[in-house]
Amino acid sequence: MIKRVEINYRGIFQKTLAKRIGGDIVMIAARMGQVGFSNGRYSDAPERNGIPCKYFAFVSPDLSEEELEAECGAKLDIDEANISVVLDDTMVKGVEPWAWHGVRPINEKVVPYGYMLVVSRRRPEDLVRFMARKPYPYYLAILEGDASFAGLWVYRDDLTHERVLGALAALDPQLLSIEAVKGYLWDKTHEEHRVEAAQKAYESVRHNVHEVTPLQGIDWPYEIPKLPKWHEFSEGVVVKAVPREFHLGPKGQSRNQLFKRGTTKSQRPVVRFDLCTKCTLCWLECPDQCFDPTPDGYYDVDYEYCVGCGKCAEVCPVQECIVMVDELAFEDNRSPWEHWKRDPEGYIRWAEEKKGTHRVLPNVVTGTGQRVVEAEPVPVGGKPKPAARAGA
Amino acid sequence: MATADKVLVYDRIKGVKQIPLEEFYTSGHRTCQGCESATVMRQFIKAAGPRTVVAGSTGCMYVANTSYMTTPWIVPWMHTQLGAGGSSAVGMAAGLRALMRKNRIPQEKINVISFCGDLGGGDMGLSGISGALQTDYDLLIIMYDNESAANTDIQATGLTTWGAQTTFSPVGKVERIMHRRWKKNVAAMLAVGHPNCRYVATACATFPPLDFLNKVRKALSIGGPTFIHTYDPCPKGWDFHPRYSHELGELGVRSGLLPLYEIIDGEVVYTYDARKTAKGRIPVREYLTRQGRFAHLTEEDIAHIQRMVDQMWDEWEVPGVAPFRGTLKVSA
Amino acid sequence: MAVAQPVGVYEREDLLTGCQAVAEGIRLANVDVIAAYPIRPYTEVMDAISKIIADGKLVAEYIVADSEHSQFEIVKHAASVGARAFAGSSGTGWMYGFEALVVTATDRLPVLFLVGNRALDDPGAFGVEHNDALAIRDMGWLLCWVATAQEALEHVLLGYRIAEDKHVRMPMALAMDGAFLTHSQHIVRIPSQEAVNRFLPPFDLGERRLHPDNPVSIAPQVNEDWVMEIRRQNWEAARRARRVIATAYEEFNQVFGQRYRPPYYFEEFLTDDAEVVLIGMGTVAMPARTAVRRLREQGHRVGYVNLRWFRPFPTEELRESLRRFRAVGVIDRDFAHGAPDDGGVLLHEVRSCLYPVRERPAVVNFITGLGGRDVSIQDAIRMFEITQEAAREDRLDGFVTWVGVRE
Repeated sequence: MIKRVEINYRGIFQKTLAKRIGGDIVMIAARMGQVGFSNGRYSDAPERNGIPCKYFAFVSPDLSEEELEAECGAKLDIDEANISVVLDDTMVKGVEPWAWHGVRPINEKVVPYGYMLVVSRRRPEDLVRFMARKPYPYYLAILEGDASFAGLWVYRDDLTHERVLGALAALDPQLLSIEAVKGYLWDKTHEEHRVEAAQKAYESVRHNVHEVTPLQGIDWPYEIPKLPKWHEFSEGVVVKAVPREFHLGPKGQSRNQLFKRGTTKSQRPVVRFDLCTKCTLCWLECPDQCFDPTPDGYYDVDYEYCVGCGKCAEVCPVQECIVMVDELAFEDNRSPWEHWKRDPEGYIRWAEEKKGTHRVLPNVVTGTGQRVVEAEPVPVGGKPKPAARAGA
Repeated sequence: MATADKVLVYDRIKGVKQIPLEEFYTSGHRTCQGCESATVMRQFIKAAGPRTVVAGSTGCMYVANTSYMTTPWIVPWMHTQLGAGGSSAVGMAAGLRALMRKNRIPQEKINVISFCGDLGGGDMGLSGISGALQTDYDLLIIMYDNESAANTDIQATGLTTWGAQTTFSPVGKVERIMHRRWKKNVAAMLAVGHPNCRYVATACATFPPLDFLNKVRKALSIGGPTFIHTYDPCPKGWDFHPRYSHELGELGVRSGLLPLYEIIDGEVVYTYDARKTAKGRIPVREYLTRQGRFAHLTEEDIAHIQRMVDQMWDEWEVPGVAPFRGTLKVSA
Repeated sequence: MAVAQPVGVYEREDLLTGCQAVAEGIRLANVDVIAAYPIRPYTEVMDAISKIIADGKLVAEYIVADSEHSQFEIVKHAASVGARAFAGSSGTGWMYGFEALVVTATDRLPVLFLVGNRALDDPGAFGVEHNDALAIRDMGWLLCWVATAQEALEHVLLGYRIAEDKHVRMPMALAMDGAFLTHSQHIVRIPSQEAVNRFLPPFDLGERRLHPDNPVSIAPQVNEDWVMEIRRQNWEAARRARRVIATAYEEFNQVFGQRYRPPYYFEEFLTDDAEVVLIGMGTVAMPARTAVRRLREQGHRVGYVNLRWFRPFPTEELRESLRRFRAVGVIDRDFAHGAPDDGGVLLHEVRSCLYPVRERPAVVNFITGLGGRDVSIQDAIRMFEITQEAAREDRLDGFVTWVGVRE
């Protein structure tokens, strides 16, 4: 028997975390007399920050290490997962790590009666409604918390690592028993709060496991392309360029149709067009060219291509004009400018509702936390005020 | 400063509203959130326009940008090797000129642009770029400098800022600073040694606004072999939140650590001179402390960097550009 | 070979070195871009080409590069915009540009390179050895050895014809022995431009050309989803090249008279009734053929096979040829230290080629002429004698002899 655990994470931000979880699953399973090994999906390297990536851990109670390696090693991705860990809940909208593969469902690999373990503060139904319908039942477990966020050089020691291990013990005690998890953490660190974090997560996740039936979820909207045979594409490593096409308005700029990047974002910019001074900066500074100039001089957003970096919100000189909002607050990628033109007041109400009452400003150095301030909403017809820059 | 009787005529973009709206490097590339090098790609080809052929050296802007069998490029683009930033441009320019001379393709101005990273251009490919700048072909080489081998997960290069943590210069129990090389002065080095090259510049993609776009326009219109060095804050390797890419570039320039200038026919023009702003140069601390890669620096380390920057602006023969000083007394 | 030539296809005769003959080929092929960098012994071709250009006999972009790497990258990128391009090198210079050589093949750009074979340093050595050119044997290159200056000139034209064929589009390495051929002067018949134009069509990279009117992206980064299919495509191109090579020689003969005989990939000398043969590449053919004549005068049934095309390797044709003999002596002007039986590179190719033959000849190997050491007629006779002995004695199969080394 083989237990396959995949850890879905956002490139760089949770790289160290995912690697540590994968490694510790192996170490703890070994204490329980099992064999295992852990690796990352090699094609994710070099990781780009934000892009969905995977780490794996494979454990078996009865196979030899060689057999386990033969079954699970030297493979770039797994065919099935007994447990699929998701370290950032915005990935439930799907993952597109590479060109040509389309947007893949986050639960693609989960087996019948297998587990999804998602780090989230949302209710299960608020996650399931973004996920693909599966032909069989499986379980969704929620580990309450925020996505851990760190940079390349500084590990964010926020106990997510210990809590995920405790949660895994709650889902599959044969894979990891909570005693083994705690024993391992204590021996390794001699820090009581780490053991406690695992224990608390173990207890809370046990009561936060929900069956997802074949009736729940959505029909997956993204087509998975089929790779051509060797004689079905041109020789000489030549690819046709993106066709040159431009007009003013939504999606007026031609874009790469086979790699859309949208699943990179955990936040998206919400634009108050009524406050916009048409300064061009959001459009000009966007590293992903996802702003479309409109005939009336505004800049629409193509959310299919937005990666959620937040640069537009930072360079926008007007307070409250562009605000980054959690990606799971949104159902679709429709043009916000069209929405606004169609129903100006309705759009602003909608936008303010999405923005909520507080503004989150990340500190400049990655993973050093953030400031949460109360919003100062500008009413319809209100005068644009200059924004305070958090960075410079 | 350029004098009135020596005016460079080029198709200047006078305001943000005049920036071409159309993209020739479009959405759908695999770069990091907040990638400033991607912004460099976008801006240079926006300034150059569609009658351009581009070669891209191995590096982030190759590997991250183009995932087979797709591309974000609308203009013709080709991969070239890490050290071939100069030679690829020469090859394309020579091929096009030969075909035009022999009337096999129509006579027209086709921009030839080649880009390379700091590792590819500033270290490995320096000889090839030097060779290219000795030719008489119309070509532009852009070295996008994110101060690391970013494509192999951030290793130190000859252009990494002194003291930075990289995967080749980690912080250890005994050694705090593993990267002890001072940033190589590539643009000025090339300008000094290549009289055939009439235009060399440094730039930051988005600060000051329009600056980089117009530098590309100037390079292409002055003709011959030209070179632009861009400073690109890298959220992944420098370890700052992607939201602040613009700010980091701006701070680097305003602190004087990343001097902005152009050298046109041997005349140096400062395109942003922090000394002449109301605040003057801001302390490098403001730039350094906003990056995780410098989190381990001590006060002494920061003071060392500040001293080096002060020296660059206060003591160099051509401040921020040419590090010569006429002060050494040689004993008999 | 006394074969009547069609009138007017050769316009004059001149005394040329192998390198100068190649330069004449470059002029006649109307090459567009040439990148030079000096290294002995191939350099002389660039000396000659630069003079041809300086004298106004060829319109081309001529660039003296800063290194072999740049030199090779320049012609690679010139080819990518649709220009016919030429470069070359020798020995460690060739190896310095190796990265560029690899990608020129995987980009499938049909540039022609001259390799003036030279020993690899250290110690620095100018003389011939084949290891430099052989280093690209697995990379997707066309690789061919010429033995005379006349062949060298003609294989520039054949090389472009084959490499640029739309079914092939692979780079072509034209190898010639350093010093013995690169620098040795012979009377060469120079074809007329009119005849060359009839044989060699202009270069057209078609839908792969890099130009604003044909926006393509060339060589985006691949992951494991694509590499194997791309390798498979290139394998197919190398297979198609075999057919195109034969066609090109036939077309060449039609224009220039019966210059080359089937199967073209190699040339047999007095093998019809031979019992044992030697096989080799390059100028070693001269002493070997002379030895054949002398030995035949004494009644020995020996012959010589001059292998011209190493890549693609003429597997079927060579197998059918060599299976007729009782023993084959393979001459390697290269080394492959630690290889099976400690034999040379060509040994393994020939032996592998013969493996499916049930009653196969004994195969022995000679490592000789390294670093430019001369291979004498006496050396060739000795090689024949050992091969004859192998034909009689099974125990000698696979035997490797160093010929010409001080022992």
